[in-house]
Amino acid sequence: MNHLDNAFLLVGFLEIAMVIFMQWEVYIINIIKTFSISSYLIAILFLVVGFINHENFILILAALTALTRGWFIPFYLRKILRIDKWRARETSPLVGISSSILISLLITVVGYLLYSLTLSNYIKSNLGSIPIALMLQGMFLIISRSSTFTQLIGYLVMENAMYMFGYIFPELPFIVEAGIVLDLLGVVMISGAIIRLREDVVQSGTEDYKELKG
Amino acid sequence: MLFFLSVLQLLYIALLAPLTIGIIRKLEEIVESKKGPSIFQEYYDLRKLFRKETLIPQAASPFFIAAPYLTFSLYLLLTLVLPIITAFPLTFGPVVDFVGGGLIFGAAATIKKIAAIDTRNNYAHLGTSRASAIGAVSEPIILIIFIMFGVITNTNNPYVINNVLQTSTNWYLSLIHWFATFAFFMVLIVETGKLPIESHSLGELGMIDQAMEMEYSGKELALYKWGGYMKHFLLMNVFMNVYAFPYYVPMQPNLNSIFAYMIINYLKILLLVVLFVIIQETFSKYKLFKNFDFVAVALVLAFLAALVFYTTGGNV
Repeated sequence: MNHLDNAFLLVGFLEIAMVIFMQWEVYIINIIKTFSISSYLIAILFLVVGFINHENFILILAALTALTRGWFIPFYLRKILRIDKWRARETSPLVGISSSILISLLITVVGYLLYSLTLSNYIKSNLGSIPIALMLQGMFLIISRSSTFTQLIGYLVMENAMYMFGYIFPELPFIVEAGIVLDLLGVVMISGAIIRLREDVVQSGTEDYKELKG
Repeated sequence: MLFFLSVLQLLYIALLAPLTIGIIRKLEEIVESKKGPSIFQEYYDLRKLFRKETLIPQAASPFFIAAPYLTFSLYLLLTLVLPIITAFPLTFGPVVDFVGGGLIFGAAATIKKIAAIDTRNNYAHLGTSRASAIGAVSEPIILIIFIMFGVITNTNNPYVINNVLQTSTNWYLSLIHWFATFAFFMVLIVETGKLPIESHSLGELGMIDQAMEMEYSGKELALYKWGGYMKHFLLMNVFMNVYAFPYYVPMQPNLNSIFAYMIINYLKILLLVVLFVIIQETFSKYKLFKNFDFVAVALVLAFLAALVFYTTGGNV
């Protein structure tokens, strides 16, 4: 493996470990911070790739990633969170914490197997299993939690995984990669608006009562 | 020569283990702006306990008295077979491999659990059931870590693992090694009963290991405590010497370098002590059922090490 592959491997597995941490964590604010760190890591990876391959558009992508995923989206989510303090904690995960951690691990293994059984025949590198595993983990994060914030973060993790696929398929045009970034901004803004609207319509929600169950 | 070094290693572990625990306790108190007991307090406690009389519960069998002696001797055996002050096997080195070492640790824990059940004390039963439940997840993690290091080094000998990591920067820096090391550190926290897993207070809510020796007194309690300190110190040594920082361990039987390394090794252990104190003073105790989340994460990290190995095809 060359140095870039090693860097991809390092960032990829750290991303997977961070999703596991998100499954472990119940405080939304920490999940958002973890997502921010994971996005900065991807930005650093793209920065390194851009510098070594002398490709300016990858440098632009790295800057866009740091700006939108690393800074703006987490900042925006935390701003909404500050208004709705009661959402700050995942009160009723649909799957228990330790079982969801283990399921997330199994999903990573499934991602690896899926890749090695199908796509690995067409792509030489074995690294493609990392984005697939990450995407499946993001999906599981969405279905295992009931908080809208965590679900949104799960969606963003999936997008990060899509983004990391850019490294495996280097011919992916700039417009597609940049499109994903702008896409995300739109999704997060709309979700933020929906969360606010839902707040106005459903006054306190049922979450308050669920907490008394013990 | 090798026999002399074996005895030296045994004395090194047996005599310095209580001091290390004493330093941890003292530093914790200092961080809490208290004066704290002397760093030699554990020695004073042991001396006091050795002079006290032994009380045996009416319902207990002779195994109750035998258990502390058995566990203590198993820990003594372990000091002879692990790379502590040398990176080459000593006289008893070939007795067990890494998995065997793990089994001796397991045997000591099992003897302790059986003896705890034998006391018929409610608290001892409670501690045993908690320790078994957590052990059911944490023991496989140790096994996975050993297997991963076996895969890295093509052996299950701790001395070879130390040598490979000492000489190969590629393996030392590899993600496989660091995932496994981090998983081992998490298990180390579980096994040594540190926060956030266990708080050594008098409340029964968080008791795990502490509850199992509830009925012991006198010499037997002293041996349990001393054995506990040795287990603690041994695991810290294995973590530092084999996994986290395998450097400077002497590979040749040269007395001067071994004596010099004994000092360096203790400095390495003191680094770990500081890390433990920071963790102890930063984290609060988890609820009992949250302990399983912690152990599950350790299991995931150990598995990820295996997954990295498969993804890279073993080329680091």
